[in-house]
Amino acid sequence: MRRARALLVLASLVALLPVTAWAHKESDAYVDLRLDPANPNRLLGQFDIALRDLDFAIGVDSNHDGAITWGEVKAHREAIERYVLPGLTIQGDGLTCPITPQGQMIDEHSDGAYDVILFQALCDKEVPDKLTIVYHLFQQVDPYHRGIINVYARGQTSGAVLGPQNPSTTLDINRPDRWRQFKSFVIDGIWHIWTGPDHLLFILSLLLPSVLICRRRPRTPFDGGDWQPVERFWPAALELVKVISGFTVSHSVTLSLSVLGFIDLPSRLVESGIALSVIVAAFNNIYPIVTRRAWLVAFAFGFIHGLGFASALAGLRLPAAAMAVSLGGFNVGVEIGQESVVMPLIMLAFAVRQTAFYRIGVLRVGSWLIVLVAALWLIQRAFDLLIPGLGFLTPS
Amino acid sequence: MHRLLALAGCLVALPCLANQDFPFVPSRDDMVLQTVPSITDARVRAFAALRNDWSRHPQDVLDAVKLSEAYLDYGRDTGDARYLGRAEAVIAPWLARLPPPIPAVLVHATILQSRHDFTEARLQLRGILARDPDNAQAWLTLATVEQVQGDVGPARQACARLLDSSDPLIPGGCLASLDAVTGHAINAAHLLAVLWPQAKAENVAVQSWIQGIQADTADYLGDAAGAERHFRTALQLTPGDNFLLAEYGDFLLDQKRPQAALELVRDYSQSDTSFLRQVYAEAALGAPQTAADTAEMARRFAALEVRGTYAYRREEAGFVLFLEHDPQRALQLAEQNWTVQRAPQDMRVLLQAALAAGKPQAAEPVLEQLASTHLQWPIVVNLADKVHAQLAKQSPASLGQKHP
Repeated sequence: MRRARALLVLASLVALLPVTAWAHKESDAYVDLRLDPANPNRLLGQFDIALRDLDFAIGVDSNHDGAITWGEVKAHREAIERYVLPGLTIQGDGLTCPITPQGQMIDEHSDGAYDVILFQALCDKEVPDKLTIVYHLFQQVDPYHRGIINVYARGQTSGAVLGPQNPSTTLDINRPDRWRQFKSFVIDGIWHIWTGPDHLLFILSLLLPSVLICRRRPRTPFDGGDWQPVERFWPAALELVKVISGFTVSHSVTLSLSVLGFIDLPSRLVESGIALSVIVAAFNNIYPIVTRRAWLVAFAFGFIHGLGFASALAGLRLPAAAMAVSLGGFNVGVEIGQESVVMPLIMLAFAVRQTAFYRIGVLRVGSWLIVLVAALWLIQRAFDLLIPGLGFLTPS
Repeated sequence: MHRLLALAGCLVALPCLANQDFPFVPSRDDMVLQTVPSITDARVRAFAALRNDWSRHPQDVLDAVKLSEAYLDYGRDTGDARYLGRAEAVIAPWLARLPPPIPAVLVHATILQSRHDFTEARLQLRGILARDPDNAQAWLTLATVEQVQGDVGPARQACARLLDSSDPLIPGGCLASLDAVTGHAINAAHLLAVLWPQAKAENVAVQSWIQGIQADTADYLGDAAGAERHFRTALQLTPGDNFLLAEYGDFLLDQKRPQAALELVRDYSQSDTSFLRQVYAEAALGAPQTAADTAEMARRFAALEVRGTYAYRREEAGFVLFLEHDPQRALQLAEQNWTVQRAPQDMRVLLQAALAAGKPQAAEPVLEQLASTHLQWPIVVNLADKVHAQLAKQSPASLGQKHP
C-alpha cells in the first residue's frame, strides 16, 4: 500500500514543478462585428478560431502528420463552419440575426495560425442599438476558452470577453461618447455668450458700477450723481461674483425648464424681455434705483435670459438621454463664457475707476449707449421691425 | 479591400505567415499553417486509447482522471496551456457531483495551481486532506502551492507528511527544494546528491526534476559552473522543456552570456516565456530586431490581458522594467504579482522595480521575507543590500524602524 502511494506520487509529478512556465496563453477566439455601411440591416463579421483548437475538437490534420496545411483547412471548411457558427448567436430587440458564412481565410495571432470565418448577420430590421451576443463555442471541451468580442459601430468600439461563466453580453452599439458630447455643449455655451451681444451687454451693465459706490443718487437721469471709487479690489470682485452667480442660478432654472418642455413662451416675448432687461440694467447705472443688491437684478432677469438660452438648444433635437449631459455642458459653457468676459473687464475697470473718463465716459455715456442699442432691439423685436444698421448688433 | 491587399501582399512576399496583421488567403495548398500534436508522438497515440476508455466507461472516475492527467502532463511538457482547459473539461462532470470524487478534485487542484489560482487550489487541497489526511499527492501539491507563495513553514510540514511513504525520493526532493531557498542550500545540495542515484532508476521527468532543483541550488550558492552543468543535464533529459528553457535562459542572461541565451531559446519563439528571453538577449546584444520584437512581446502581454489572464505579472514586470523602461508601472505589476506569489524570482523583480522606481520602501515585504527565509541567492541578497542602503539614505532617523 505504501509503495503504491509512492508510485501514485511519481505518476503525477506534474504538481511538483514550482511555477509552470506556459508557452502561451490559453484558448481564445476573436469575433469582430461591423455595421455594414451599405445595408442597415446587416452586420459583417470576422470570426478567428485557433487551428490548434479546431484540430483538437474536430480534427483538421487529416493525415495526422502534425502539420496543418491550407489544403487541409480548406477541405474542412464546411465541417468547421458547422461546428463553430452554432456557438455564436447575435440578437436584439427580440429578433435574432442569423449568421451565414461568406468566406474563409487565415489570420496570424501571437500563439499561432487561426482559421477566419468571414460571415454576415442579417437582421429582419435595422440592426438593433442594443445587441445581445451569446457565445458557447468550445464550452464542452475547454471551460477556459474565451470568446473575445469587439463591435465597431458608428465610430465606437465596444467589447466583451465571454466564457462559460458569462456566456452572453449586451452591447449598446449606439452609445454616444458622453464626455465628447458634454465638451461640445460646453463650447456651444461659451460661443452662445460670446456671440450674443444682448447677454454681454446685460452683464456689462451690471459690471460697470461694481468698482464704484453711489454716494448720492442723481436727482434726474441727467445729473450724474456722486460716484466714489471703491478702495479695495476684492470686495468689488466678490460683489460681482454674487451678481454673476445670481444670474447663473436663475438662468439655469429656466433654461432647464424650457428645454425639458415645462415652459414654452413665444420667442418674441422672450427676446423682447431680454432687450428690456438690458435697458433696465443700464438705466440703473444712470439713475440708480437698486444700488446695494445688484445681484437681485441679475437674479430676476436671469430667468428671462435662461429662456433665451433655451432657444439656442431648441434646434438641436436632443435625444432624451443626452439631455442632462447637454444641459449641464451648456450651463458650464455659459458660465465660462461669462467669466472670461467679466474677469478681465473688472480688472480693467478697477484700474481706471478713479478717472473722470470712467465715471462719465464709460459709466454714464456707455450706459446711455447701451440703453439706446437695447431700446432699438426692443422695438425691433417687439414689433418685428427691421431697423437698418442694427444688423451687426443683432444676436445670432 | 484590406482582404485584397492581404492577398496581394501574400502573392508578392512569401512566407505569408510572418507577422500578418490582417487575414489572408494562403497562396499554396501545401503551405503549413500550424504544427499540432502528431501521432508519431507516443503521448498523442496514448490519448486515443485513454479517450476510448473514458467514453466507454462514463461511470468510471479513474478513466476520466487518467485522460485528464495525460492532457495535463502533455500540456506541461509542451508548454501548451490549452491542455489545462481540456483536462478540466474531462473531469468537470465529476466535480459537479456531491461530494466530488477525490481523484477528480486532485486533478482540479493541480489545474488551479498551474493557472496560478493558488488560493482556490489550497482550498481544494485542504478539502481533500480533511477527507483523506494521508493523501500523498494532496500534500505534495500543497507543498508546491505553499512554497510558491513563500509560506515555507507550512510547505515544510506538507513535505514532511510525505516521508510516510517508503520512497524517500519525492519527500527528499520536496525538502531539498525548500532547504535551497531557506538558507540551507548546502544541505540541499548534499541531499540531492544522495538522492540522484535513486532518481536515475525513475523516468526522465523525475530525473529532470531532480537536476532542475540541483541547478537552482547551485545558482543560489553562487556556483555558476555547477548550475550550468545541472541545467544542461536536465535539458538533455527533457529537451525543449519550457520551464527549464526559461530558467536556464535567465541564468545565462545573469551570467552576461546573451549570445548563449539567444541560441538556447531562439528555436522556441512561439513560446511566450522563451520569446521573452530572446528579446532580453537581443537587447543585451544590441540586435537590430530588438525594437520590433519588444513590440511583439508587448502584443502578447496585451493578448493575455484581454482575456483576463494575470498569471504572468512577474514576467511582465521584468519586461516593462528592462525593455519598456517604465519603472513605475513595473513596480505596480511586481507588487500585484507579490500578492499572488512570493518565490525567489518574485522577490527579485520586486526589489529591482522598487529600486528603479526610487521607492525602496515598496520592497519592504521582500526584505521581511528575506529576513524570515534566509534565502542565500546572491542576486537577491545584493539587491536587498541596495534597498537597505537607499532606505537608510532616505530616512537615517528611521533606521531599524518598521515602516508602516
